[in-house]
Amino acid sequence: MVEKLEKLLVVKDISKSYVGVQALDKVSLSINRGEILCLVGENGSGKSTLIKIIAGVVKADEGEIIINGKKFESLHAIDSISEGIQVIYQDLSLFPNLSIAENISLNQMIERKKRFISWKEIKNIAEREFSNISKELDLDEKVENISIANKQLVAICRALTQDAKLIIMDEPTTAITKREIDCLFSVILDLKKRGISTLFVSHKLSEVLQISEKVTVIRDGKLVGVYNTEEMDHDALSFHMSGKKIVDSVFDYQEKERQKEPLLEVKNLSKKGNFQNINFKIRSGEIVGITGILGSGRTELALSLFGLNRPDSGEIYIDGKLAKIKSPRDAIDLGLSYLPEDRLNQGLFIKQSIGNNIVVTILQRLLNRFKLFDNNKKYEAAKEWIEELNIVTTALETAAQALSGGNQQRVVIAKWLATHPKVFILDGPTVGIDVASKSNIHNIIKRLANQGIGVIIISDEIPEIIRNCNRIIVIREGKIIKKVNINEVTEAKLLDMLSKKSN
Amino acid sequence: MVKNNRSFRIQKLLKQNELYLFLVIIIYSVFITSRNSSFLSLENLFDLSKSSAGMGIMAIGVFIVLLSGGIDISFTAIAISGQYIAANVLIASGVDNIFFAFFISCLVGVALGAINGLLISQFKIPTLITTLGTASVFHGALLTIVGTKAINSAQLPDCFKAFGAKYVLILTKPNGVNYGLSIFIIIFIVLALLTWLILKYTMLGRGIYAIGGDINAAERSGFNVAKIQFFIYCYVGFLAGIAGVLHISLIRYSNPTYIVGTELSVIAAVVLGGTRITGGSGTIVGTIMGVAMVTILNNSLILLGLSSYWHNFFVGLIIIISVSITSYQSKRSIGNIVFRR
Amino acid sequence: MGRYYLLGKYSKHSKTLTLFIIMISVFIVISIFLPGKFLTIRNFQSMFSQIPEFGLLAIAVMLAMLTGGIDLSIVATANLAGIVAALILTKFTFPQIGGYEELFTIILAIASALAVSLICGFLNGILIAYVGVPAILATLGTMGLFSGIAIIITKGYGIIGFPEKFLFIGSGTILLIPVPMVIFIFCALAAVLILNKTTFGFSVYMLGSNPISARFSGISNENILIKTYMMSGLFAGLASIIMISRVNSIREGYGSVYLLQAILVCVLGGVDPSGGSGSISGLIMGIITLQVLQSGFNILSFSPFFKKVIWGLILVLVMVINFYSAKLSQKSIKRLKTN
Repeated sequence: MVEKLEKLLVVKDISKSYVGVQALDKVSLSINRGEILCLVGENGSGKSTLIKIIAGVVKADEGEIIINGKKFESLHAIDSISEGIQVIYQDLSLFPNLSIAENISLNQMIERKKRFISWKEIKNIAEREFSNISKELDLDEKVENISIANKQLVAICRALTQDAKLIIMDEPTTAITKREIDCLFSVILDLKKRGISTLFVSHKLSEVLQISEKVTVIRDGKLVGVYNTEEMDHDALSFHMSGKKIVDSVFDYQEKERQKEPLLEVKNLSKKGNFQNINFKIRSGEIVGITGILGSGRTELALSLFGLNRPDSGEIYIDGKLAKIKSPRDAIDLGLSYLPEDRLNQGLFIKQSIGNNIVVTILQRLLNRFKLFDNNKKYEAAKEWIEELNIVTTALETAAQALSGGNQQRVVIAKWLATHPKVFILDGPTVGIDVASKSNIHNIIKRLANQGIGVIIISDEIPEIIRNCNRIIVIREGKIIKKVNINEVTEAKLLDMLSKKSN
Repeated sequence: MVKNNRSFRIQKLLKQNELYLFLVIIIYSVFITSRNSSFLSLENLFDLSKSSAGMGIMAIGVFIVLLSGGIDISFTAIAISGQYIAANVLIASGVDNIFFAFFISCLVGVALGAINGLLISQFKIPTLITTLGTASVFHGALLTIVGTKAINSAQLPDCFKAFGAKYVLILTKPNGVNYGLSIFIIIFIVLALLTWLILKYTMLGRGIYAIGGDINAAERSGFNVAKIQFFIYCYVGFLAGIAGVLHISLIRYSNPTYIVGTELSVIAAVVLGGTRITGGSGTIVGTIMGVAMVTILNNSLILLGLSSYWHNFFVGLIIIISVSITSYQSKRSIGNIVFRR
Repeated sequence: MGRYYLLGKYSKHSKTLTLFIIMISVFIVISIFLPGKFLTIRNFQSMFSQIPEFGLLAIAVMLAMLTGGIDLSIVATANLAGIVAALILTKFTFPQIGGYEELFTIILAIASALAVSLICGFLNGILIAYVGVPAILATLGTMGLFSGIAIIITKGYGIIGFPEKFLFIGSGTILLIPVPMVIFIFCALAAVLILNKTTFGFSVYMLGSNPISARFSGISNENILIKTYMMSGLFAGLASIIMISRVNSIREGYGSVYLLQAILVCVLGGVDPSGGSGSISGLIMGIITLQVLQSGFNILSFSPFFKKVIWGLILVLVMVINFYSAKLSQKSIKRLKTN
């Protein structure tokens, strides 16, 4: 057989279930040689599971996997790798203490079962691959000292050294700036020229539309369809991704008898390297969205408001009074709450009970006359919020790690609501949460606003911003570039603002 | 295009902690010599190198363990076990051969190290508590099974004494007394070189760095983490065995309660040399300089008239100061506050 | 449904139950094999007299472990505190205050011991919380520092001969209970109260569970860490007073075997070395188990070296068992997780 096989990878009717959850239900996918395919779906749609199955890390319950024309009954990771499939996971799996050259070349050394190291060879391999990227980097620099975008390039180079035929990138653009995304895309196009396929997994529609040739959409574990990108647009994709049944109502800001005094006012806040001259106000009952790609300074700004990132200059006013926030405790006492991005590592105490997780912020209120904990008060407080937020659990003592993602997030929200905040900053509140819970949490947020809390949502998911905010602040590279009301903008316009090349 | 210019390399050199340690050693040595001129004499230096070779060899072992992100405090128990058992075996069997002594001691060392290696590589238990336990088991077993009787110079096989007196370079003082550079230092240099070669030029060595950097990434990259960890602790045992023989040859005496208790000094030397306890970073050169510094410090106390009572105090102080400097430097970034402890 | 409830309460209670069973079994086994010498009042009195000082040290180590750290300097701290108190008791003479000089000397000695131990704990706290030194290294360094100071002060010699009234602490009884035991019970109860019923105690557990989340939740990590290590120091200081009055002497290095044993009973008693969980009740059961074993070994005239082997073995064994039980519980959690 002399003809080159066109189809590099074909998976047919893949199903996978975990106890109680059908992660994938008869999903099929195929990718041609040199093709750029995007796998698209909301968080929790089953994308990651599919990737892991293709990589041979997880075994499917049913279905066929055919790589390079070969059928695999049971795919192991080593098979996948030797067939040329390389996965770059979100955490990149690089060695921070080793040089770029080593990170790129070591895997190949292991594969070749080498015992000894020739530094010349390591350098050659690295230089060869890196020259394609044509970036100016010292290959002897330790990986821990370079930017995330560069780390990504190193990870790609590493994948390429192993004679990859298909590179799967899992959400590669969450942590890099627009300019760096463009660079990444040019690399992907270059790969195409070399006959290497790319499977680009993402939920960021603008990027999907920019780079891909075909799009495979999955939702709730099922295949929705395969489309040519040129026939797709943002709304259509969005519709396919989220499905019709959940249509969030747009947030209705009730201006009426709200106090005119802003709950939170930020004046000229600056911090070198993070953000500059930030000015904005939040009024009672508002939901303000702060959006911009990661790297734009939004989380750094939020941390400054919360006492974890002291600004160089500027002022913060809460309820009209100048606020001195030196620690999270100060912020909490002044009525600020912050829901961190990383629910598992920054928000929860996973081995502790749900009850403990909820009351940790309001310890002072649970004391009796002798300054000792009153168990009843603790029980009541926790119970109140479990009911209020519909957290699915049977006992307060259950460890937080036993809950699903959506419920875990609700626990963290409960923890903050227990402090009766005036201003609630939520950073990426629905990342990694299934679609139903997402809508649920959005409703909770809207309810909070209607009760008078000033809410800030930090997010890079445009649909989330559009459906939940009455005002939007766009940040790029540390500066506010636009402030708009919700009625002044559409999803497409917002996307445009975010992706505009900086002048 | 890849950066590769001279000024950049000089910049990098200046950032190395090892350079500053080197300067501190020089300055301190000058200071001591000004107070007591016998410090920088060749005789004293030869003497120091002989007596510190054993600690240096153990320090190499501790260095590798720290590189991999672990810690081992049982190495002193292993060293004395190797020593005492070797001495007893030699006496009992009548074989008076130094190579045989090394063989026995290293065998014991590797065997005990292998126990550590198995526990740590198979069970993922915290290395500190594990080696705390095995140290107790090893030392207790030695004293129980082999005995507690000290072996004095008269009972000691001659090979040890001969080995202790072996010099590679002999000089004569004006009054006719000979002094020389002991073979111990050669052994130390050879082992340091061997370790350096392993770390720099073998996959095993890079694997050690990789594990110390990110153990999960190492697994995913295909490194056989369990095997590498097993090797590390066996190697420490091997080094401890050698150090044990050096020690007995040095003091011409074997008491099974010796060596144990000196863990602090060895760890201090390694930490002083810039090796981080979190793993993944450190150099042989740094370790050697750390050993040099601790040795010089110890020696200077005596020369300055301070009794040896001050030893623990200074060792503790060295650990605290040098670790404080490195820890404080890395603590300042926001990444550390928000994303790590 | 009921499964969730059981999972939460069960794992905590099952640990305590297992511990209790182990403790009782060990007691029964030793009693059966050595009835004559073990089940005597004299033996029980001897066990009772050793538990307090060791128990206080164990609590001190537990506190550090709860925060996810460890305190290797605990024995050195106790030693130094004891030496300072001993020096005052033997060398210091109060000016005449109408017959109360001895009492004042004793009070001064005790206060000094506690002050020294608090300072030691404070130093540990500062290094770990503010400078950011990992607990292992910080306390390894301070261990050297404190023992070094002790050596410099005593030059290796012991200090003996304390006033009669002081020895009451070590050998007297209050309502038939030995004074050290009274002190220990009191301190243990105080620790239980602090850990379970105060905001400080709650924060300690949360910080040990996840220091990052703790910071985000408004807990002042630095504050809690310093207080924890100071409390550790205080317990070590209290232990030292009992120690020196019990044996009427002190010398540098005394009690060094306690460190391994303290860590052993912590691990045995269910304290997680990575932080966030552990209880005084579990610890006490571990202490009792250890003491019973120790007593059995003494009766059987085990050499101190052989005992070393056994303690080491038990420590390693407990860690391995913990590894397997953690693996099992992770599997069951994965199975129960639903959307």
